[in-house]
Amino acid sequence: MVRYFTRLRMRRIYKWGGRPYIFDRKLKSYGFEYLNMSVEGQEAVTTVTPGQYILIEGNDDEYPFVAKLLKFFGDESHKQKKALVQWFLRLSEVPQNKKLLLGRSPHPQEIFYYLGRACDNEINAESILDTPFPEPGTKDTLYVKLSWDTKAFNVLDPVLMQDTPASTPPKPALPLFPPCASPTATPVSRGPVRRALPTPDPTVMRRAGSVSDTRATMSAGKRSTLEAESIHSASKLSASKILSAKRRGSAADTPGVRKKLQLSIGASECLYLRMKELRNSVCFPCFLIQVTPSTPRHATPSIPSRTVPARQPGNILEEARARLHVSSVPESLPCREQEFQDIYNFVESKVMDGTGGCMYISGVPGTGKTATIHEVIRCLQHASDMDEIPTFRFIEINGMKMTDPHQAYVQILQKLTDQKVTADHAAALLEKRFSNPAPKKETTVLLVDELDLLWTRKQNVMYNLFDWPTRRHARLVVLTIANTMDLPERIMINRVASRLGLTRMSFQPYSFKQLQQIITSRLNKVKAFEEDALQLVSRKVAALSGDARRCLDICRRATEICEHSTSHPSSAGLVRMNHVMEALDEMFSSSYITAIRCASLQEQLFLRAVIAEFRRLGLEEATFQQVFVQHRALSRVEGLQPISVSEGLAVCQRLGACRLLLLEASRLDMLQRVRLNVSQDDVLYALKAVRD
Amino acid sequence: MSKRKVKETHMPVGECISQYGYIFQVQMILRERFCHQRLPEKPVGMESQHKHLLELLRRTAVHGESNSVLIVGPRGSGKTMLLNCVLRELLEVKDVNKNVLPVHLNGLLQTDDRIALKEITRQLNLENVVGDKVFGSFAENLAFLLEALKKGDRSSSRPVLFILDEFDLFAHHKNQTLLYNLLDVSQSAQAPVAVIGLTCRLDVLELLEKRVKSRFSHRQIHLLSSLSFIQYLDNVRSQLSLPQDFPDTNFYDEWNDGIKTLCEDQSVVDVLQRHYNSSKDFRSLHLLLMLALSRVSASKPAIKPTDLLEASRVCMVDSKANILHGLSILELCLIIAMKHLNDIYEGEPFNFQMVHNEFKKFLQRKSHSIHNFDKPVVIKAFEHLQQLELIKSMDSSTAKIQKEYQLMKLLLDHSQIMEALQKYPQCPTDVKQWAMSAFG
Repeated sequence: MVRYFTRLRMRRIYKWGGRPYIFDRKLKSYGFEYLNMSVEGQEAVTTVTPGQYILIEGNDDEYPFVAKLLKFFGDESHKQKKALVQWFLRLSEVPQNKKLLLGRSPHPQEIFYYLGRACDNEINAESILDTPFPEPGTKDTLYVKLSWDTKAFNVLDPVLMQDTPASTPPKPALPLFPPCASPTATPVSRGPVRRALPTPDPTVMRRAGSVSDTRATMSAGKRSTLEAESIHSASKLSASKILSAKRRGSAADTPGVRKKLQLSIGASECLYLRMKELRNSVCFPCFLIQVTPSTPRHATPSIPSRTVPARQPGNILEEARARLHVSSVPESLPCREQEFQDIYNFVESKVMDGTGGCMYISGVPGTGKTATIHEVIRCLQHASDMDEIPTFRFIEINGMKMTDPHQAYVQILQKLTDQKVTADHAAALLEKRFSNPAPKKETTVLLVDELDLLWTRKQNVMYNLFDWPTRRHARLVVLTIANTMDLPERIMINRVASRLGLTRMSFQPYSFKQLQQIITSRLNKVKAFEEDALQLVSRKVAALSGDARRCLDICRRATEICEHSTSHPSSAGLVRMNHVMEALDEMFSSSYITAIRCASLQEQLFLRAVIAEFRRLGLEEATFQQVFVQHRALSRVEGLQPISVSEGLAVCQRLGACRLLLLEASRLDMLQRVRLNVSQDDVLYALKAVRD
Repeated sequence: MSKRKVKETHMPVGECISQYGYIFQVQMILRERFCHQRLPEKPVGMESQHKHLLELLRRTAVHGESNSVLIVGPRGSGKTMLLNCVLRELLEVKDVNKNVLPVHLNGLLQTDDRIALKEITRQLNLENVVGDKVFGSFAENLAFLLEALKKGDRSSSRPVLFILDEFDLFAHHKNQTLLYNLLDVSQSAQAPVAVIGLTCRLDVLELLEKRVKSRFSHRQIHLLSSLSFIQYLDNVRSQLSLPQDFPDTNFYDEWNDGIKTLCEDQSVVDVLQRHYNSSKDFRSLHLLLMLALSRVSASKPAIKPTDLLEASRVCMVDSKANILHGLSILELCLIIAMKHLNDIYEGEPFNFQMVHNEFKKFLQRKSHSIHNFDKPVVIKAFEHLQQLELIKSMDSSTAKIQKEYQLMKLLLDHSQIMEALQKYPQCPTDVKQWAMSAFG
């Protein structure tokens, strides 16, 4: 069940309270003692003061951000309301690959003290939620035990949790440990043995298990939440969700309405399921018990695995073939060092600075654009694992791998947050994500392959992709790939092209030396080719297209030919010139001439008639009727029995199906126009050879 | 069937019944052969292509190497037969049998990527398939399939053979999304796939977009038969001969000897030569042999040269001449009038009024046997000719112009008209003479 986003947006009113004091003379900012929040049209006023723990509006209603308020400040005009906070993280906000460092399954309500600096601790005060912070002792209490400094979990120094001598004591204090934990545990767990710590106190674990069966699964994150929600739609709404719903719906003062609505949805869903079951039982009466229609929403995409493992290459030629396959990932990418370095520097600097930017990369197919970027990302990932640069996320989309340009939003969002939503909604969520400041934000590197396919009439997809990196809090690096160098000038309107910027790079087609080097480095000392043979392939391909894929394919085919040429596969020697020549011939030679030579006598005669008629008319086009007259005359000359019109049409259609002739629609019958798809010289050459 | 059974009961002696049984079996065996229901033991005349394709698919199945290949050849040259033979042979290998997932698609059935994706998912039986239905939208299906293929790897997942019949039609799908993705998988380290395209277009590579083309391995297997007439004759003989395992040896010898003498008969050789000149493919040959075979019965248990001649006549007959035989005299006269108009105006289009005038001239001057028809009757005849598509309107906007003045063209050749006149039963001589005279 997808969430409803058509809820009534409530206007909250924020007012400074207390006496302002000069906070920074230069910036003319003022500090404030507390903040009053109220919902429009309601009496109740919530007051928050520094030192208090607060919830901050985030992407997820279920799990708002948690933070401790440090200070309020604003400018003279009171327009901007800012706050300094100390962030706390939920486990779902910890990067996926670091979650394992915890070494145990976390308590569902466990949060972590954030020690990193990557995240802006200055927030807009108007994003503070006025929902009360969970009271200690209730089942929503949040627990903090460890701190997270973007690299490891550490035991939290209790000093950090000591309340600063604030003017008012924080009302709901955050308990340092679960209430049941014995205080004596503290010094032990504070010891330097970080690894030993994750022995969770049994009470926490017990609580985690016993909170309720639905809640226990929720810590995993979004996916299971959705699941739980769809099954137990209304009755088991988590408290904060109800609260947030209340907050938004309370203007009408009917907090129950929403709950009722959801209940009724739940009921109708039940009915739907029941009906589905009924239908299934009608369709497959014999499977009545077994068939529980698995909702394909949670289907895992996978290809069945094979019973016998694939055989490994046996001899040198097979080994060479495996290495020459385009799919095999080489140890290094030769001949693209400069491009690699440029892209690496670009992305690295953006990741280091925490800024964003765009880059446009062009080049004809098969020049290693995507491969180079993947290599860059691999190196950067390695660097970030070694803690040389901050962590970042890499997301890849491909214009060809989506059905519609707007699907780009859906795919990006799904890869970022694992959410499945519609395109419009995804666009809105991404917009919000990239324009609002948020804690724990890491840089996102987005690779957009086949950019030209994302073109729409209004170009809004492209516009957004290039606009997001320019936002202050986005931390988005967009790398785009397309085939044509002048794509920005050709298809983009000015405001899109301008946002794309001038960071461009073009991949030149490979020269023959580079192609040769690529093959040699791929083969990596597997001696399967003669030097000359390699040179021939690379020179031929470099002259035609400079496409590395083509080059590898030809080499692969040449190894096959070599293998077949000898009777015994193991005795096959090196791939020689003649093998390569044969492979080149197979791939590049046109088959028209062979096709004409292998055509039947009447078909050949018809082609001659076509040429004769073209000569007579002085045009490159004639109707079937005209050609057929020539055909009949020719067959009389050749001493053949003339064929009927139906047969002649059949001959003509056969030639048209092979595209030796280009024909008009066949309903025109005798009046359809005929053109040659081959040059006249080729036809005459092919026919001459037949007669000799 | 029932008719034959009735016949059988009337047969007086057991010998006839056994004779009938053999003929029935012969019909069964040969019909299966000619209707392409049974694959031949070995594809004829394409050994090297067979070896190439078999090796390629075997490597995909055994080594998990991804490949893409196009089989190109004119219609009826045996592309599908070759592929099916290779698949049959491939599936006989023990290791391969349970390890490959063939997916058959046809460009005429899967007319866009949405349908093709559903069909692929259904045939692969992925997890979003329930019963026979595929759930999810187009975008979801694509993402799901790509994800599934991406998760696989060379050594552990089962190779998928994508067989795309009428490959050229897939190239007309929007953005060539399906082809791009299939070929991209075949060129990257994902689940092993083999993409096999069958097409009769020689220029199929020009249809592919440049990035799709770059991902295609450029392997093409051409099936262009350079069959000589001697081989063709041999083939006819082997096609008509009974297999070794026929139950009755006497009948087997008798039949095969009969076929041998049949193929040496000069008139039969002439008929076959004519067919060979017209087209070398086996499908048209099978049509001819099928017609001859259907004249074999228990009372006439062999194919005679006359059967083949008759069958050839049926195959070669001109379809328009057949229609002309069924026309009324009035319609035939109109056709002749059109022929004269074509002669006079050198193939320029004509309208009804011109044809009617020409016809009236004939009635006034030369006709003795044909009386005047009312104009509505003539219009009706003219419209009938148009319905038979013997004449065709040249104007695109038919609504604007009055029926009588619409420009038309004749879709018949002079030779067809003359031939039809010769064979027309009881055609009045004056009409014949009018048709043969130079100017109306």
